[in-house]
Amino acid sequence: MENLQYEYLAWAVLLGHIAIIVVGGFITVLSESLVRALVGLIMTLFGVAGLFFLMAAPFIALMQLLIYVGAVSVLIFFAIMLTRAWPGGDESGKRTSKKTLMAVLAAVLPAIFLGSAAIKTAPPSDFVAKEIDVSTLGQFFMQDFILPFELISILLTVAMAGAVVLVLEKRRQK
Amino acid sequence: MSVMSIYHLVAIFLLCLGLFGIVYRRTLVGIVLGIELILNGAGLSIMASAQLTPTPNELGQVGALLVMGLAAAEATLLLAILLLVSKRFKNVEADKLITMRG
Repeated sequence: MENLQYEYLAWAVLLGHIAIIVVGGFITVLSESLVRALVGLIMTLFGVAGLFFLMAAPFIALMQLLIYVGAVSVLIFFAIMLTRAWPGGDESGKRTSKKTLMAVLAAVLPAIFLGSAAIKTAPPSDFVAKEIDVSTLGQFFMQDFILPFELISILLTVAMAGAVVLVLEKRRQK
Repeated sequence: MSVMSIYHLVAIFLLCLGLFGIVYRRTLVGIVLGIELILNGAGLSIMASAQLTPTPNELGQVGALLVMGLAAAEATLLLAILLLVSKRFKNVEADKLITMRG
């Protein structure tokens, strides 16, 4: 009896987070103000973090909150402010019906193919996710995945340095 | 329909919404928002494939972390590029940026 209640609770949490993701996603792509769109994106990120929690991966969920909500969305907010993409500015106004049609096609066609493939090829299992602790993950990183780990640190360093150099270069030309 | 395919359908929804945003948005910042949606869907799909199947869980978590690192690097570079574009062309609308020379 108690297990059944927990199962209902899990379904309610899952569907609630999916609802948050759907609403946030539509705000992200359809809102006229880019600041509102960014808030919709943050809503979606919170929903995805909740799904990570549901999949018994709290560390990844916290990293999602820390990296995406904490860092990436702040970067995008800086981009919105610094490029003067003011609310009700560039994104407002009518789009041509051709552009809207192309956008809908770009969304619907992959949805049909990938969705049918995902439903057809899904393994018929009710596997219960097990939580692994962070030290296991760290050992995995340091032993089996040492090369991708180092590569992504190099990539991050190069990206940061490249960003700084790009902006400084312009200033020197003036 | 298993639980895993629900997660995968959510990931596909994020991918398609991101594609819609990339085509539909006018400004470069809006396009960046679409790209972030797609990357999030990718992370969600990788996690679901590893956590809800007998695959070792570490693989999925490492994959999701790598996707997050890539997204952070990409956002940094895009911020710099957006700054340059907006300084040089005075706007960031994708359809108006049609020259390669600054």
